[in-house]
Amino acid sequence: MKKWLLLLLTVIFGLIGLAGCSDSDTTSGNTKDEKVEITYGFWDKKQVPAIEEIVKLFNEENPNIKVKTELTPYGQYFQKLETAATGGALPDVMWMNGAHVEQYAEGKVILPLSELAKQDNFSLDNYPESLIDLYTVDGKVYGIPKDFDTTGLWYNKKIFDEAGVPYPDETWDWDKLKEAAEKLTNKDKGIWGYAALMGNQGGYYDFIWQNGGYIISEDGKSVGFDKPEAIEALKYNISFIKEGLSPTQAQMTETAASELFASGKIAMMFDGPWMVPEYKQNPDLDVAVVPKGKQRAVAIHGLSNVIAANTKHKDAAWKFVQFLGSKEAAEVFAKTGTVIPAYNGTQEAWIQAVPTLNLQAYIDGVEYSVPLPSVKSTGEIWQYETDVLKKAWSEEESVEDAVKELTKKANEALSKK
Amino acid sequence: MERSKQLLNNKTFLIHFVLIVGSVAMVLPFLWMILTSLKTYAESIHVPPVIIPEDFQWGNYKEVFGLLPFFEFMYNTFIVTILRTAGQLFLCSLAAYAFARIEFPGRNILFMLALSVLMVPGQVFLLPQYMIMVKLGWLNTLQAVIVPGLFSAFGTFLLRQFFMGLPKELEEAARLDGCNHFQIYWKIMLPLAKPGLVALGIFTTLWSWNELMWPMIVNSSPESMTLSVGLSSLQGQYLTNYPILMAGSFLAILPMLILFIILQKQFIEGIAVTGGK
Amino acid sequence: MKELPLEVEVKANQKFKVSNLAKTRKRSDYFWAYLMITPLMLGLVIFYLWPIIQTFYFSFTEWGAFGQYEWTGLDNYKRMLEDTNLLKSFKNTAIYIIFTVPIGIFLSILIAVLLNQNIKGKSVYRTLYFLPVITMPAAIAMVWKWLYNSDYGLLNYLLSLIGIKGPQWVSDPKIALYSIIVVAIWSGIGYNMVIFLSGLQGIPKTYYEAAEMDGAGPIRVFFKITLPLLSPVIFFVSIMSLIGAFQVFDLIFMMIGKSSTALENTQSIVYLFYQHAFVLNDKGYAAAIAVLLLAVILIITAIQMVLQKKWVHYD
Repeated sequence: MKKWLLLLLTVIFGLIGLAGCSDSDTTSGNTKDEKVEITYGFWDKKQVPAIEEIVKLFNEENPNIKVKTELTPYGQYFQKLETAATGGALPDVMWMNGAHVEQYAEGKVILPLSELAKQDNFSLDNYPESLIDLYTVDGKVYGIPKDFDTTGLWYNKKIFDEAGVPYPDETWDWDKLKEAAEKLTNKDKGIWGYAALMGNQGGYYDFIWQNGGYIISEDGKSVGFDKPEAIEALKYNISFIKEGLSPTQAQMTETAASELFASGKIAMMFDGPWMVPEYKQNPDLDVAVVPKGKQRAVAIHGLSNVIAANTKHKDAAWKFVQFLGSKEAAEVFAKTGTVIPAYNGTQEAWIQAVPTLNLQAYIDGVEYSVPLPSVKSTGEIWQYETDVLKKAWSEEESVEDAVKELTKKANEALSKK
Repeated sequence: MERSKQLLNNKTFLIHFVLIVGSVAMVLPFLWMILTSLKTYAESIHVPPVIIPEDFQWGNYKEVFGLLPFFEFMYNTFIVTILRTAGQLFLCSLAAYAFARIEFPGRNILFMLALSVLMVPGQVFLLPQYMIMVKLGWLNTLQAVIVPGLFSAFGTFLLRQFFMGLPKELEEAARLDGCNHFQIYWKIMLPLAKPGLVALGIFTTLWSWNELMWPMIVNSSPESMTLSVGLSSLQGQYLTNYPILMAGSFLAILPMLILFIILQKQFIEGIAVTGGK
Repeated sequence: MKELPLEVEVKANQKFKVSNLAKTRKRSDYFWAYLMITPLMLGLVIFYLWPIIQTFYFSFTEWGAFGQYEWTGLDNYKRMLEDTNLLKSFKNTAIYIIFTVPIGIFLSILIAVLLNQNIKGKSVYRTLYFLPVITMPAAIAMVWKWLYNSDYGLLNYLLSLIGIKGPQWVSDPKIALYSIIVVAIWSGIGYNMVIFLSGLQGIPKTYYEAAEMDGAGPIRVFFKITLPLLSPVIFFVSIMSLIGAFQVFDLIFMMIGKSSTALENTQSIVYLFYQHAFVLNDKGYAAAIAVLLLAVILIITAIQMVLQKKWVHYD
C-alpha cells in the first residue's frame, strides 16, 4: 500500500519535474555537433508529402537539425498561433499569409530576415517582386516566399459532354458562365452547374475587380464594397444561388462544394492550385482561366515561411527557411504538383508535373492578377466579410443592406490605428 | 383473472413498445456512424442513400491513421484519464476523510471554501488557468491537460458524504490499537468507501476522456492532443468527408465503449451514486 | 474505609490521564487533518479560487495582441449593454435550457419508470439508453451533423419516404437551435434515467402495496406516490441539468460551422466566451462574460433553492 502511495506521489511530482526537464534540454541548442530539433508549423495536409521530402533533402545536408512538422487545419491555424505566441510556444518556423504578416511583424513575434539574408548572401531577387512586397513591413522583409496562387475555373468534362456544352476557354465571360451553368444544371441527377462560393480570393474579390471595382481604396482609408461595381458583382455571384444553378450557402456549409465537385455533383467552380493533388485523381476534371467581366482580373496571393522571434534555434531555423526558399525545395513542390513554387523559373516544372491538366491557366492569370489587399486590419475585415456577407448569400438580407453594414464596419476597422 | 392477465400482457406489450422505439433512436446514430465509415465518398452522398456499402472501405480507417497520429491521441487520452482519475481519487478521498471524520479548527470554513468552487461555472477559471499554463511554459504538454483536473471540489464533496455515513465505532477501535489517521484512512475507511471511489472514478474517467474545451485551448501540437481535440481537427481538415469523419469518430469512442461493455454494472451504479447522494 | 480514598485517587488519576491524552490526541488530529487537506486545498486555491479573483480582475482590462493588457475600468461591462450578439446568445441559451431541461427530465423519468416495472430485458434497455452518455460529445455532434445533412442525411431521406421534404436542420437559422436541443436531450436521457432509476428503487414497496389496496390506478399511483417521493431526486437532477445546460459548448462548436448562416441563432454564452477569449483575443471582454455567467447561475440556483420548498418533499 505504501508503494502505491509512493507511486502516485512520484507520478504527480514527476509531472512537475517533467516540465523542468523539457525546459533544460532546449537551452542546450546551438553547438554544432549536437542535434537540435525545430518545429515547422503549417496548415495544408495536401502538402505533407512534399514537405516530408524536402525535410529529407534538408537532412542530407544538415543531419543534425531534426525538423518536426506540426499540422493545424487552416480554420484553427491563426488562432493557435496567436495563443502560442502569447505563451511563447510558437513553432520555430511557420507558414504566414499576407493577411497576418503586419500584425505579427508589429507584435515582434516574428523575426525580420533582411539582415540575415544580406549576411548570408541569400538573394531575394529570386522571387516575384509582388510577393516580397507582401511580406515587407516597415522596410524589412519578414517572410521568404514559398509559393503563389491564382484561381482557375475548374470543370467536369463528363457533365459538359452529357449536356453538350463546349469546354470553357479564355473567350468566356460572365454571360457565358451563366448560360453554361443553366445548361449544366440537372435537378433530377442532383447536379448543379456552378458553385457560387462565398469566398473572397477566387470569389467575390475577383468578380469585383473584373467589374472595375476595388476592395480597399488607394489611400487605404475606405473599402469599396458599397460601390455600384461591387454591388453588381456580388449580385451576379449570388444570382447563381437564386436561380437554383448553385447549391445554397446552407448546403455548401453542410457539404463542402469541393467535395461535391470532386465527386461529380457540381459542373464548375473556382478553385486554387492547392486543389490539384485532390482533383487530379478524377480524370473528368480539368481547369481553365476564370471568365472575364468588363476586364480580366484574378486575385494573386502567396505564402511565405517566417521564423518565430523567440526561437531557441535561430541558426537552425534560418538554415531551414533558406532551404525551403531554395530552388531545390521549389522543384519538389513543382514535381508533386502541390502549389506553384515562388522561386522564379520553377513554375514550368510545376505545369509539367500534371500533364493531364491545363495548369497553364494558373500561370496565364499572373499577367493580369491583382494582389490580395493586405493591411493591418485585414484579419478583422475578413471576419466582417464572413459575418455580414453570409446574410446576403443566404438571401436573408439584400446585397445593398449587407454591403452598407459591411462598409461601415470595415471602414471603422481601417480607421483604427 | 383472465382479463387481468390480458391487461397485464397489454401493459407489458406497451412498455416494450415504447422502450424499443426509444432504443432504436438511441442506437441508430451509432449504427449509421459505423456504416458510413465503411462507405466510399460517392456512396455516402448517393441519393437514395446506400445502406450497406458494396465493399467495406477499411481504407477509411487507414486514412485516418495515416493523417493523424490516432494511436498517439489514444495514448495521450489514456494517460490523461488515468492520471487525472488516480490523482483525484487519492487527493479527494484524503481531504474528504479529514473533512468528514476529524474535528479541527477552520474545518467548516475550509470546506465551504472548497464547495464554493462547485457553484462556479468552469469558464470563470479558464482564462487564469490558461495564463498559469502560459507562465509555466506548459502549453502543448500533457501536464497542462492533467494538472488542473487533479483537484476536484465535487469529488471531495461526494466522498465526504460517504465517509460521514460510516459508523464511528470502526475508527475508535483502530485508534485504541494505536493507528494514526492516515492508517485509519488507508486501512479502514478507503475499503469501506469503495462504492464512492468507484463512482467518482467512473465520473472522472468519462469526463477526462470526453472533455473538449480545455485540452483544445492548451494543446495545439499533435503529440499532446487528446482524442476529442484530434477529432475536431479532423473535421477541420476533411470538411465534410463523412466516411473519414465517421471512421475517426468511431475510433475515438471505441476504447470507452469497450470499457463500458466490460464494466457496465460499475458504470451505471457509479453514475447513480454521483447523482443520488 | 481505606479503600475509598484510593479509589478516588485512581479515578482522579485516570481523569488527569484522559484529559492529557485528549490534548495530545487533539494535537495529532489537527496535524493529520491539515496534512490531509493541504494537497487538495493548495490545488483548489491555485487552479480554482485564485482564478475566480483573477477573472474578476481581467474583466476590467482590455487585451492587445500577444498577451498585453491594460486597465479599462467598466468599459467591458458598458460594452455588454450594446452587444446584440451577447443578448442573442443569452436568448439562445435560454431557449436551449427551457427545452432540454424539462423535456430531458420528463423523458428520463418516463424511461426510468418503465424500466422499474417487472419486465424482461431490463439490463439490455438500460445499456442501450446509456450508450450516448459514454460517447464523447465531439463524436456525437459529428454523427448527428451527418444525420441532419439536408441533401444526403439519413433523416431527410426517411422523411422523404413519407413524402415530406425535410428542412435544413443545422443551417436554417430558425431550426438549427432546436436540432441541437434534440441531440442534447438524446445524449442526456441515459444519465438522468440511471439516477432516477436508483431513486425509484429507493421508494419502499409498502407504499405501492398500500395504494394497490386502495384500488388506485397506475396513473394515480404515479402522481400521488412516485412523483412526490422522487421529488428530491428531481430537484437535484434539475439543478445539475440547468447548470450543465448553461454551459453548452461542445455540440454547438462541432455542429455549427463558422460560416454557417445559423451561427448567430445558435451560439451560446459559453460559445461567445470561447470566441472572445481564444479566437478574437478579446480576453478582457471574455472575462466579463464569464463573470456575468457566474452571476446568472448563482441567481437562478438561488431562485430554485427558494422554490424547491414548495414542491420538494423530504421525509
